[in-house]
Amino acid sequence: MTSIRLTVFLLLILAVVAVVGTVAAPQIYYQVWFLAPLGLLTLNLLACLVEGLPQAVRKTSRPFTGEMALTLPERGRFTWPGEAKAPVLAQDALRRELGRPRRKILDDKEVFFYSRGRLRPLGPYLVHLGLVLVLAGGIVGKFWGVEGRMLLQPGLPVSSIELDNRKTRPLSFQVQLDRFQVFYYEEGGGTPKEFRSDLAIFEDGEEKGKFICRVNEPVTFGGYTFYQSSYGVMPQGAVPVQISRGDKRQTLDLLMRRWAPLPESDLQFMLVRVEANLQGYGPAVQLAFRSGAGHPQIIWLLQKQPEWADPRAGFRVALGPLNLQYYSVLQVKQDPGVWWVYAGFILLLAGMYIAFFRPSQRWAVVLQKGKGGRWDGRLLGASPRGRETFAIHTERLLARLQGGAS
Amino acid sequence: MLDTVYGALMLLYLGVGLLFLAAGLWASPALNRWARVLFGAGLAAHSAALLGRWWESYHLALGHTPPAYFSEKLRLVILQAPMSNFYESLVFFAWCLPFLAILTFRRYLRDYLGTVVAIAACLLLAYASLGGVDSRIKPLMPALKSNWLLFHVLTCFLGYASFTLGFGVAILYLVQEKRPRPTLPSLPELDRLIYQATVIGFLLLTLGILTGAVWAETAWGRYWSWDPKETWSLITWLVYATLLHARLVKGWQGRRIAWLAVLGFAAVLFTYFGVSFLLPGLHSYLT
Ligand code: HEM
Repeated sequence: MTSIRLTVFLLLILAVVAVVGTVAAPQIYYQVWFLAPLGLLTLNLLACLVEGLPQAVRKTSRPFTGEMALTLPERGRFTWPGEAKAPVLAQDALRRELGRPRRKILDDKEVFFYSRGRLRPLGPYLVHLGLVLVLAGGIVGKFWGVEGRMLLQPGLPVSSIELDNRKTRPLSFQVQLDRFQVFYYEEGGGTPKEFRSDLAIFEDGEEKGKFICRVNEPVTFGGYTFYQSSYGVMPQGAVPVQISRGDKRQTLDLLMRRWAPLPESDLQFMLVRVEANLQGYGPAVQLAFRSGAGHPQIIWLLQKQPEWADPRAGFRVALGPLNLQYYSVLQVKQDPGVWWVYAGFILLLAGMYIAFFRPSQRWAVVLQKGKGGRWDGRLLGASPRGRETFAIHTERLLARLQGGAS
Repeated sequence: MLDTVYGALMLLYLGVGLLFLAAGLWASPALNRWARVLFGAGLAAHSAALLGRWWESYHLALGHTPPAYFSEKLRLVILQAPMSNFYESLVFFAWCLPFLAILTFRRYLRDYLGTVVAIAACLLLAYASLGGVDSRIKPLMPALKSNWLLFHVLTCFLGYASFTLGFGVAILYLVQEKRPRPTLPSLPELDRLIYQATVIGFLLLTLGILTGAVWAETAWGRYWSWDPKETWSLITWLVYATLLHARLVKGWQGRRIAWLAVLGFAAVLFTYFGVSFLLPGLHSYLT
């Protein structure tokens, strides 16, 4: 369970399943094909955390001492004349290149030592912990969160949300759309500039506040967050149409998706769609009609051009006054998992920074009086995971030390 | 007017690439010096052109929504960063390459390595200028009006650019291994550069994915929706995570890491180009 081979294997499986999802079956991410390897990966991560974290914590909390510094591998040597102020020079070189070193005298040796990147062993574990938090947040959201939508018509308060599984969930407050507006950059359409729902929220018959909900600017109330999701138009009440056959004229009031029979005939009419602006031609409605149980036919009527006639049909249709109003659709969410996810993001980034950019590095300069009263110096150091920067520092330190006494 | 600047820049990068190539073939320090100076000049001109478009974009937006306060002005400046459609992303991607190369491996930016970077920037600009990509500045649709947009696009494309550099170095590694060339850095140096580019790219891509998630959460209330672009960026992320683990935990080096960098870059290409053209989704406004 703690093997990295398993990790790589699972990562590859996940990648393959994800690829399948993007080309063939988007629902796959909620099925066992994806969830099972993801679950195993989480176990894998947790097992590694349990196994390695205590050791990593011990490693970071163990102080770096002069005795330990002496066991570091040697990186270079230098000699200074006996009259040089060796301790000052050594301390200075380390301080300029890295930072203020500590000092310890051990027998005949004087050791100046310095370390950085002590937290490095924790880095990977912070990353992995962050990932676990993100996954946990996803699960919390899935099981304890609420996600649904709300269709609002102006002036009609709504106090429930429609969940994705077609159930509804009651709210303890009412949301009312005062007004919905669409603004365009240019008059008459083109790129929309803003969708805006002006909301009023009531609780126990009392107005709790007015809110403006826009894309990218959600509104939060009572633990729920409301996002501007989409909008549309619907007729206010029924839509009147006039049907003329010869010189006989009849008026029908049409409702959405409901067949209305035309008296004294076998014709039926239905309102199928309403558009606020059909391809730049303004408000329009789409009707269906059929004769008896025959195949329905579809026609569009524009408000600007409200007449339709076809000699083969034997009748004409004229659109009556059209009274359209906007409705607004809000995405509604309550997700206690988001904060887990965001906390995971922060751990993930902090861990990556520590793991990749704060490699643990240790140095020591050891001074000793040698033959003829000269100073014999040695530079020691190690950095298991940061060879690049370590090599650069070592090179510069050695240059400083070897040129130091002159 | 800026379009012609980008056309000229494309030719400049091409020239720089050829100069670096000649420098590599004849081991000429003088040619390298010239190529580096021209490369720096190209980056400066490219930066100026980006700022020019930013300025133009901002002034067009001023006409649509005159800001009343300083804070609104500042927000408008951030929103109008020229990174909101496919053309602008190509041009920005092209800018990231020399920028990152100069920032992260200045010492190695010569000979064939210089060629790879300059030619990659040239190809991206060529696609932007000659590929029939719509270069007009368009007003922002509501979903794009978020402060996160700038950080999201900035980090994603810097990440892609770093992976592109890693890919270039990986190719050079594979060549150097087959047919050693004295003007190429040594194999261990190239190996280290692949790792370095991967680490930087990985951190940036992670930031890009996270800022994208935060943005999606504020715009739509879903930090993750398995949109094809998101999914493919996750796949890319997984490939590079595999590379880093193979190296840090299993100690892989050299050829196998180079091949993983090539695989990762293929995932980057698909995330950037493939998804936009083949798989529709939330990000399709970028095309
Ligand atoms: C996202 C960035 C990640 C970073 C920076 C990262 C970093 C690391 C590092 C540095 C190690 C070596 C630990 C050591 O030095 O002892 C490691 C080990 C490991 N990583 Fe990651 N990792 C990341 C993501 C992942 C992911 C996505 C998974 C899988 C879900 C994963 C699973 C593992 C496992 C199983 C090990 C072996 C741990 C052990 O044997 O103790 N890591 N990781």
